[in-house]
Amino acid sequence: MVRDQIARERRRSRALWTSIAAVAVLVIAGLIGWGVVSSQGSGSYTAPPGAVENGTGVKVGGGPVTIDVYEDFICPACRQFEQQSGGTIDQLVSEGKVTVVYHPVAFLDRASSTDYSTRASAASGAAAEGGKFREYAKALFAQQPAEGSAGLSDDQLIQIGRSVGLGDAFAQAVRDGKYKPWTAHVTDEASGDRVNGTPTVRVGGKDVQPSSQAILAAVG
Amino acid sequence: MNVTVASPPVSPTFARRWHAVRPWLGTLVRLGLAAVWIVAGGAKVGDLAASGRAVNAYDVMPYDLAKAIGAALPFVELALGVLLLVGLATRLAAGVSAALLVVFIAGITQAWARGLQIDCGCFGSGGQLAAGQSPSYGPEILRDLGFLALAGFLLIWPLTRLSIDSWLEKK
Repeated sequence: MVRDQIARERRRSRALWTSIAAVAVLVIAGLIGWGVVSSQGSGSYTAPPGAVENGTGVKVGGGPVTIDVYEDFICPACRQFEQQSGGTIDQLVSEGKVTVVYHPVAFLDRASSTDYSTRASAASGAAAEGGKFREYAKALFAQQPAEGSAGLSDDQLIQIGRSVGLGDAFAQAVRDGKYKPWTAHVTDEASGDRVNGTPTVRVGGKDVQPSSQAILAAVG
Repeated sequence: MNVTVASPPVSPTFARRWHAVRPWLGTLVRLGLAAVWIVAGGAKVGDLAASGRAVNAYDVMPYDLAKAIGAALPFVELALGVLLLVGLATRLAAGVSAALLVVFIAGITQAWARGLQIDCGCFGSGGQLAAGQSPSYGPEILRDLGFLALAGFLLIWPLTRLSIDSWLEKK
């Protein structure tokens, strides 16, 4: 019957249009996400003095073997690693055996309500500018805030800086977020280098367990 | 006329009841799957960089591509959730849901097979697990299979109560 045919035709065109609308919604949604990220882009950054050439970390020591350490200041396993193996690495540095590149990544911004990972990493950049990167990093791990908390405030970050001998220039750099773009660069480059978690330790470019024995064995 | 009918697979009363219940059951399924996508997308949308890192942790594509997919995925999940919530183009949304879930299951399976130590990042977080944490690939895959069953239901019976689709159908 003609009426049936018309009804069927109408139903078919309606199905077509709703499908087109739905596909458009999905495509536009995807493009929004893509647009947001590419507009954030990897902008320009200033690496602190003491950073390695490509700006992906801060260099300590001058030995022949390179150790890369990727840490997030709010990661409990990183704090544990610092407590258990920090001394071993310091000794290797002072014996002139290794060059350590510390990459203060901000993987865990959502583990605090204030992007503590990014703020702490940027503050460590400011500490590097003041020549006290390691001292400051150790102090931050010693006073690590719990995951899920608000993290330490900028004032507390500055206070910890003063306790290791950093001054007004450091305080200003923390308040201005001077090294936040650098933190974004460090984090992005670490991901590009297939670092998917913290702590990650690489000796001569190869992943090793984050333990003193494994590091000593790999350094040789 | 005297026709011998082969005994039907289900009793007529069951069939009638199923016919009455199915559209409402479908509404539950549709809203359930909508909730899954909205929760999953909502958990990731606040930190798109982390979403990109979670995709990158599967180690199946270059980082730049992982970043783009990680950025787009939360919004696509939210959009799928909204389509299912209002019941617009349900069959298409269910089909896209099923396709995405199959990709997720494949991704988790390959991570498992290769012995990667990652969090699936299904509902936020993601990335490599800390030392001492062990992956839970089995439960993650089972959960996704459950969601896949919901999508399958809607692929077969897309017309459900309280949906734009059924409202359009009546017009």
